[in-house]
Amino acid sequence: MREAVDDHWYPVGLLSGLEDTRKTLLLGREIAVGRNGAGVFVRDAAGRALPTVARFGHLWTSPGQPTRDLFTIPEADTPGRQLVDVGSVRVKCSPLRAVENFLDIAHFPFVHTDILGAEPHTEVERYQVDIREEVDEVWATEVKFFQPQAARSAEGGIKTEYMYRVPAPTCAVLYKTCPPRPGEWDVITLFVQPLTEEWCEVWPWMALYDDQSTMAEMVSFQQMIFMQDRSILENQIPRKLPLDPGMEVPTQADMTSVAYRRWLKRIGYTYGAQLVAA
Amino acid sequence: MILYDYILSASCYQVRLMAALLGQPLTTRAVNFHPAKEHKSPEMLKLNPKGTLPVLQDGDLVLTESAEILRYLTRDTPDWRGQDEVWLSFAAALNGSIGTARLHDILSYDADIDAVRRAGVQHLRQLEAHLVEQRFDGMIFLTGHTPTIADIACFPTTALAPDGGVSLDVYPSIRLWMRAIRSLPGFIEMPGIHRLHELEAAP
Amino acid sequence: MGRLDFARCALLECVLRERGAVDWIAVGLSVDVPAGTVVPRRVNDTDMAIWCSAAGKLHAWGDRCPHRGMRLSHGFVRGETLSCIYHGWQYGMDGTCSYIPAHPQLEPPKTICARSYACNEQDQMIWVALAPTQAKTPDAEGRRPVRSLEITLPVAKVAEGLGHPMSSLMVLGGVYDLAVALQPSTQHSCVLHAFAGADQERKQVSRHLEKMRAELESADA
Ligand SMILES: N[C@@H](CCC(=O)N[C@@H](CS)C(=O)NCC(=O)O)C(=O)O
Ligand code: FES
Ligand SMILES: [Fe+2]
Repeated sequence: MREAVDDHWYPVGLLSGLEDTRKTLLLGREIAVGRNGAGVFVRDAAGRALPTVARFGHLWTSPGQPTRDLFTIPEADTPGRQLVDVGSVRVKCSPLRAVENFLDIAHFPFVHTDILGAEPHTEVERYQVDIREEVDEVWATEVKFFQPQAARSAEGGIKTEYMYRVPAPTCAVLYKTCPPRPGEWDVITLFVQPLTEEWCEVWPWMALYDDQSTMAEMVSFQQMIFMQDRSILENQIPRKLPLDPGMEVPTQADMTSVAYRRWLKRIGYTYGAQLVAA
Repeated sequence: MILYDYILSASCYQVRLMAALLGQPLTTRAVNFHPAKEHKSPEMLKLNPKGTLPVLQDGDLVLTESAEILRYLTRDTPDWRGQDEVWLSFAAALNGSIGTARLHDILSYDADIDAVRRAGVQHLRQLEAHLVEQRFDGMIFLTGHTPTIADIACFPTTALAPDGGVSLDVYPSIRLWMRAIRSLPGFIEMPGIHRLHELEAAP
Repeated sequence: MGRLDFARCALLECVLRERGAVDWIAVGLSVDVPAGTVVPRRVNDTDMAIWCSAAGKLHAWGDRCPHRGMRLSHGFVRGETLSCIYHGWQYGMDGTCSYIPAHPQLEPPKTICARSYACNEQDQMIWVALAPTQAKTPDAEGRRPVRSLEITLPVAKVAEGLGHPMSSLMVLGGVYDLAVALQPSTQHSCVLHAFAGADQERKQVSRHLEKMRAELESADA
């Protein structure tokens, strides 16, 4: 049987940042997140302990009965990577809009100008997209884009290759060419905590090969990128993600977004989605 | 000259922007303000016991207020100075209202959000009223025909008001003033303040 | 789609008439939307992007890019086109999409189109109509525009406070020979666009308007 919205795992905090008990929202309901002794806890408003998983530097919980373990990112475990806790930023938009934006490359020249893209290098070549039934994930591969400064450690423009992966409805992982280590992929994620259907807390996290940058520099780079997106995300109308075709107009460059929307619909994940054209 | 810097800080951006407009080289040292609270680390507290950013270090000199840093950077460029004292205090007030709303909305800082937003609207109305009068006199900047540190101090927090849920839609003179600043040669952006793509030629 | 739009427009028109609304609604001074710029405006809860091309032609469009819903008022004007800030889709004078940067060779289908509204410039003021209208844009009779101010009161409250029935342009007269146009923005706020006698000192008028707003808002508080 398919998982209900409640049965998924959601990020609710940085393991390194759990000091005082923090009240927050998950799917519109109040929860408390904190540390007791050596362990960590998440409680719902009734004081009931919710299940927890500590992974990727974050604490995860689920208000329902998860039928599956939280996904893994095997690549991130290879030695020599810097694991970067980027922190969180709150955004007034649907959690699904935040994920969809993360899967999009066509906005790079206009929103991340001179960093992840620049005119006139705006063309998005055809890439591969599929919904992998066996793992129930959306994947896009062979995504290529010209980038003036692909990473904090990059010098000069390069054609970057990406792979995108949606392992859970409010999480996305990207793998991108890694300038200092040809043949390896940097891992950058976007974990989204749905506060409500139109408000979310976004926790980016990274596992990078980078011996040159300080931790603060890598955090700063990713916060810069995400905050450039925030002013877009807060100004899309409607705030929820339309799942039915007709309200918005995709092109070939949007194949990942189209597959993501189709997959959400197929698995019945409608929290933060707009179903009928308003 | 070293700026201890946080990319999302409007106060640090005042300094980065001023240096860029003056063409002064500036070395930035990223401080992990969020999530690691590095501005309160022992090393940073030794430099600035207040535990705030920006901090500018030039040889033995250490400055910890954006207003004094702007004065310092423009000490030899009288063009960038004018009747700016009142506007430097105004910038601090903006930081207290709109700046606080922004930290609340982005980084979940504690704040009486309705109160700081209301105060922010009052500040924007004052700013708009002043700029309306400047424009009647044919001037677009806060204190004259050319920008001064007054403009650079007030611009960042103002431009980032929407980050804190305070709209700029209803202030036509503020919008044109911001546009004039964004059009200055050497202007640099920060996250939340996009560049004027129209200034670049269409491909 | 077309039929639905027509039905919606007709309904909207009906509702507006009942509320005693007006055909032409001022949305700002021409000097506040100079050539090459775009601004957001809200008119009766409808979000619009008002933009002025390099050649000085004004347009009022729905503030939503058909691609992924981004507000067009955050975009940028190049020549006679408006581009969306998100993926740079470019729209020409007739509202249809003329260029998609992700697919430079593609000729965008004509069906990709921003919604447009009637927009006129008169007496250096920009006026829009939410529904097609035969009415003429109001004549300020030689007065010149001074400025726009937001008032955090419903438009009806402001009209009442000014002691005037709602109309496109309300002549208040007085020492400054004022005439004001009210733009209902949301249920709780509106924007007042003011004209004054052509020889009036505009700073004085502006200060007078500030005082007027303070009185209106405090009378309601
Ligand atoms: N008066 C300072 C205010 C700057 C300010 O508010 N800095 C923030 C960062 S954006 C800060 O360091 N806050 C730390 C704190 O208040 O503990 C200035 O403008 O220089
Ligand atoms: S949303 Fe406007 S170009 Fe994509
Ligand atoms: Fe982005």
